[in-house]
Amino acid sequence: MIKFLKLYEKIGIFIFFVLGSIFLSIASPNFLRGDTILNIVAQGTYGAVVGFGMTLAITSGGFDLSVDAVMALTSVFISILIPLIGIPFAILISLIVASFVGMVNGLIITKLRVSPLITTLAMMTIIRGVALIVAGGKQIVIQQKLFMEVGTGKTLGVPNPIYIMIVLFAVFYFLLYHTAFGRHVSAVGSNESAAKISGLKVDLIKIFVFVIVSFTAGVAGTIRTSQTLIGIPTMSPGFVLVAITVTILGGTSLAGGRGNLWGTLFAGVFISMIYYGLNLIGVQIFYQMLSVGIVLLFALFIDGVRSRYLETMRAKGIKV
Amino acid sequence: MHDRELLRLENVTKIFPGVVAVDGVDFDMNRGEVHALVGENGAGKSTLIKILGGIYQPDSGRIIFEDQDVVFYSTHQSQESGISVIYQEFNLIPDLSVAENIFIGREPKRILNRFINWKKINSDAQVVLDRLDVQIDPSEFISELPVAERQMVEIAKALSIESKLIIMDEPTATLTEKEVRKLFEIIDGLRNEGVSIIYISHRLEEAFELSDRITVLRDGKKIGTRISANTTEGEIIEMMVGKVVKSYFSGERRASEERDVIMEVKNYSIADHVDDVSFKLYKGEILGFAGILGSGVHHLLKSLYGAIPRKSGEIFFEGKPVRIDTVRDSIRLGFGYVTEDRKNTGILPDMSVLHNVTIIIIKMLTFFRGLFIKDAREKESFERIRGRLNIRFTEPGQKIIYLSGGNQQKVVIGRTLITDCRVLILQEPTRGIDVGAKAEIHRIMRELANQGISIIMTSSELPELVNLPDRCIVLYKGHIAAEFTKDTMDEEKLVAAQIGQKVGDISGESL
Repeated sequence: MIKFLKLYEKIGIFIFFVLGSIFLSIASPNFLRGDTILNIVAQGTYGAVVGFGMTLAITSGGFDLSVDAVMALTSVFISILIPLIGIPFAILISLIVASFVGMVNGLIITKLRVSPLITTLAMMTIIRGVALIVAGGKQIVIQQKLFMEVGTGKTLGVPNPIYIMIVLFAVFYFLLYHTAFGRHVSAVGSNESAAKISGLKVDLIKIFVFVIVSFTAGVAGTIRTSQTLIGIPTMSPGFVLVAITVTILGGTSLAGGRGNLWGTLFAGVFISMIYYGLNLIGVQIFYQMLSVGIVLLFALFIDGVRSRYLETMRAKGIKV
Repeated sequence: MHDRELLRLENVTKIFPGVVAVDGVDFDMNRGEVHALVGENGAGKSTLIKILGGIYQPDSGRIIFEDQDVVFYSTHQSQESGISVIYQEFNLIPDLSVAENIFIGREPKRILNRFINWKKINSDAQVVLDRLDVQIDPSEFISELPVAERQMVEIAKALSIESKLIIMDEPTATLTEKEVRKLFEIIDGLRNEGVSIIYISHRLEEAFELSDRITVLRDGKKIGTRISANTTEGEIIEMMVGKVVKSYFSGERRASEERDVIMEVKNYSIADHVDDVSFKLYKGEILGFAGILGSGVHHLLKSLYGAIPRKSGEIFFEGKPVRIDTVRDSIRLGFGYVTEDRKNTGILPDMSVLHNVTIIIIKMLTFFRGLFIKDAREKESFERIRGRLNIRFTEPGQKIIYLSGGNQQKVVIGRTLITDCRVLILQEPTRGIDVGAKAEIHRIMRELANQGISIIMTSSELPELVNLPDRCIVLYKGHIAAEFTKDTMDEEKLVAAQIGQKVGDISGESL
């Protein structure tokens, strides 16, 4: 049992992933076709990309509820800026704006000592409001068709968002496991007081983490905007739930200190598989929210069972 | 004799998957007896008392309580029979009042037996607290009480149940010397009333002072029971560790004045805690600081490390004036710090042994300012520290929480040594560590000092303060009350100085 739970923490999502694939390949003859699979993976990129950021935040002991609002803000900025300064600069400036929101989050949390939950909850509505104000309350159509390449174009037959996801995965993997910064993030999430006593710049680390989460939200917002060519101030309400689900389902402990990026990657695609499966059995699109909620509940349940079980074992003096 | 017997365990065994926690233990208690239960961590003490407390049930063996065969299936059942256990971790609810906690689950009711009779619960609680002679307001919330008073509330709760047997697990770990005295009086009183007490403690001298008999457990087995008056600490320690510990405090102590001064602290003050303290720290010495709660020792040590700000004062390091305003300042100067609360401010519980040791210097072990951790160099630095401290673990990737307290402490000390620290500040270096590991930590401290590292330490365990440091400074209410050298150090004088007895009355060097 102990071995199983420890293994689950590492590769649990992978098991779901395989089971899901087997199920879908039996249920749908179309599933095992290359473009179907690529399509599912491409649809999983939002969850995975924001999930990477969220994984970092939760590893640091934090939490960011404002990501879907940041996606919307990015979407609005891009659609306004593209006609003014061109596509590359519009993307760049919008991502900077997104990151700036993260910095504000981080500053409020570290300098004003407000809890991440409250801060980002408030920022979620504030940023959503800003997005609506900047957009004048309406959707903004983008005329430059070229921008569509970002989210819907293909390179060598593979949708571009998948490349973006893979590159970000590599960057995050490196960041979390092979840099001093990543080690510091884990330390802060594991025991903040101990990190402080060890001379780590805890506040700065936290601010960086929130900047990075918002940046990933900006990337996800950019991809989604490009797919519709519309700047949408009401984009993706409740998407934060997906990001958190992906992170927890992937095996990152809600208690902080341990991030599992591989898990986040697979969980992102797994959520997309669920959507595909629901589509397959003809369930309407708005049931997707419900399904994500159920998966989140399940992931939290397993997370709780695991930590309680290991705790009990330890209390009984058993080596785990 | 037999009618005095309250409790007897015969051949009690408890097995958890992969480990025999309690292995065929026989044990007996008389009415009105104080029986000390000692053993290193993992010896089976906790499991044994949890069996008596109804948390675990034995796999085999008999429990005879008041001449009846019993097995307790719940805490409630064990309490009904007249056993109460005061666990090391408190079982008080912080957001309820003292009175509510004392009578929880047994609140006096009124009106159809549905509503709590507040008047009665508070007055009943007052009666119990008066019996203990403690000044605690029954209507106060637990969360507002200091730890020592919470301990007293736990005891009051046990008393209010009219227990025949009270089991205390490390009750003095969080108490000051004065409160310990108070507790001992209470235990004596209980003994005279015919209440039996099982007393578990790491502090052997307490066991000797209090108990009628001492039972030693090791690896789940009972090693033996001795009448306290007829045995020695040496014998008990030998029974506990299974081998002869040559000297509890090893190493040669030297007079500090023969060495160079590495640091001088002048007129150091911390708001509300420390007032105008000056002292010198010599190279390669172990300097002890003694003081009861409120003496300022804890704050002084923490402030020297830069973790809390000072109000005024100067620090000279190797003759040059330095500023220590932050933890980073002091680390840069070569300071290391080990906290008194290993679990909450020491270890990084989710991380491996390796990462716990290297966290402070990880940035130095990279290419390009923080990018690309050099795994090989990290391992190498770690191995050096590991060899120096003899840390035991299965692999460097093992999570630190799975190590014993002693090994965890070595990891935390290792974290400071890896920075090539030259001044090591240790708060409670051996708290919550078993006897064998304690001796090892003491040996390590002496070795480090011999290598030229200057150590500043404090401890709530008197023998540690009396026997380990080369010098010991006593603080009382933020002032230096006395200083002892290795020749003038003496347990009684140290205690006297700590509780503020006039310097002239004790033959320590007055300042």
